[in-house]
Amino acid sequence: MPAIAATPRYHRRRWRNRLATALSIGAAAFGLTWLVLILLVLVVKGVGGLSLAVFTETTPPPGGVGGLLNPIIGSLILTVLAVAFGTPLGMLAGTYMAEYGRYSKLTMVVRFINDILLSAPSIVVGLFVYEIMVAQMGHFSAWAGAVALALIVIPVVVRTTEDMLLLVPDSQREASSALGVPKWLVIRHIAYRAARAGIITGVLLAIARITGETAPLLFTALNNQFFSWNLNAPMASLPVVIFQFALSPYEDWQRLAWTGALLITAAVLGLSILARALSAKKVQL
Amino acid sequence: MSLAIHTEMKEAPETPAESVPFEEKVAVRRLNFYYGAYRALADINVTLGKNKVTAFIGPSGCGKSTLLRILNRIYDLYPNQRAEGEVMLDGENILSPKQDLNLLRAKVGMVFQKPTPFPMTIYDNIAFGVRLYDQQPKSELDGRVEDALKRAALWDEVKDKLNASGLSLSGGQQQRLCIARTIAIKPEVILLDEPCSALDPISTAKIEELIDVLKQDYTIAIVTHNMQQAARTSDFTAFMYLGELVEVDETTKIFTNPKEQRTQDYITGRFG
Repeated sequence: MPAIAATPRYHRRRWRNRLATALSIGAAAFGLTWLVLILLVLVVKGVGGLSLAVFTETTPPPGGVGGLLNPIIGSLILTVLAVAFGTPLGMLAGTYMAEYGRYSKLTMVVRFINDILLSAPSIVVGLFVYEIMVAQMGHFSAWAGAVALALIVIPVVVRTTEDMLLLVPDSQREASSALGVPKWLVIRHIAYRAARAGIITGVLLAIARITGETAPLLFTALNNQFFSWNLNAPMASLPVVIFQFALSPYEDWQRLAWTGALLITAAVLGLSILARALSAKKVQL
Repeated sequence: MSLAIHTEMKEAPETPAESVPFEEKVAVRRLNFYYGAYRALADINVTLGKNKVTAFIGPSGCGKSTLLRILNRIYDLYPNQRAEGEVMLDGENILSPKQDLNLLRAKVGMVFQKPTPFPMTIYDNIAFGVRLYDQQPKSELDGRVEDALKRAALWDEVKDKLNASGLSLSGGQQQRLCIARTIAIKPEVILLDEPCSALDPISTAKIEELIDVLKQDYTIAIVTHNMQQAARTSDFTAFMYLGELVEVDETTKIFTNPKEQRTQDYITGRFG
């Protein structure tokens, strides 16, 4: 006789287990449903507007024909600049925290502030850059937009760099130091090498994050109806154009907004999948 | 001057007997070591003879590894760890703040308990350290890598896959790779911190044979939990207990006729 299986206590536990499993599955399904619905609506409303013109023509006046060339290029420029500013800064700070100042007070303070920055509302970042750049220069500019986005990139990169470097076992640092390798080379050749996939993942996630940011750009890069390479002038970007066009009463603008939203979502999804794939095949130690 | 040395010898009665030809390479004098406020080593005096193997035995936590980690100052990587006293390497005190740590560690190599191959190719694992000190043509570097792998008795097993990852090797091979990596930089002293504790008996035998060959060129200190290993591989054995160095003498004497009761108890398995 299976004595243990028969106890009422065991039965109760089994039922509780089933209940908890059902609740978990239900919650996961509930969350996924909305994600799938969002993607569906985007595809249904956005795919119709997809055409070559979207990528070759600038934003049209109401009722005219046009595409999203200037906001697409603008978003690419702003993102590249923000990553170019933010990644080295963030990586250097993260490296200091994990490798040089691991036990210092400064690191604790920086980590605390960085965590605040990480969760700071992006509109506050936009207002801050408006005050220190736009107000001082007297006009909106792509530079200001890039700085605002960089301020969002930095804490993400600081965090992942520090976390990934802390995951590198100390035995690797000891082993290389024991060969007489100077510290900066230990970091470059051993620690970075082991943490590389994780740090790249962090940068990709930071890019995904700023790709959709609207609020910091409203106060900084603003928008530009025309194509422009001038970094000292306002520049169009996909999120701001979506914001403007979606709120407009013109149907053709609204259609373009849907298409833009689809493009951004596809880009973010692609980046996230790439980040996933990279972190999945992390170098094992 | 000779008088000063003489009194120092007197303070260090553990200095091995004269019956084996003995040239001092490393001399530890009145060494204390602290983890924060905790004193892990108390008044250690011991001498490592040139081209000799000195084994350190004793129960876990007695300070064997701590002592080894002072000899290349690897403890310096961590805050709140502090050594007092003298560690003379060829007559220079390596505990001096003026000591260049990278040069010291190139001279005093270390192999750790767990094999720690770097996440790079077998070739690069060895070339990495060599490139730091000598810039040389590829052919010469190839020679250094081959020579180191041969000395570590690993060449035959890896010569056809030098571009494979160091992580793809077995545990015993990884440990020999770490030894090869260490001798490739041409150190003078090699510290082995329980190098066989993660290895099977066959790999262990290979590394023990290796130690026997290596001592012709290097001064070796080995920490081991395995008393047979100490007896097999070493010329001198030091018994440590609770942060003190109880006794150091020729290995045969320690294992047949130790002076101290505590040593006797430990090697006969009465405690520890």
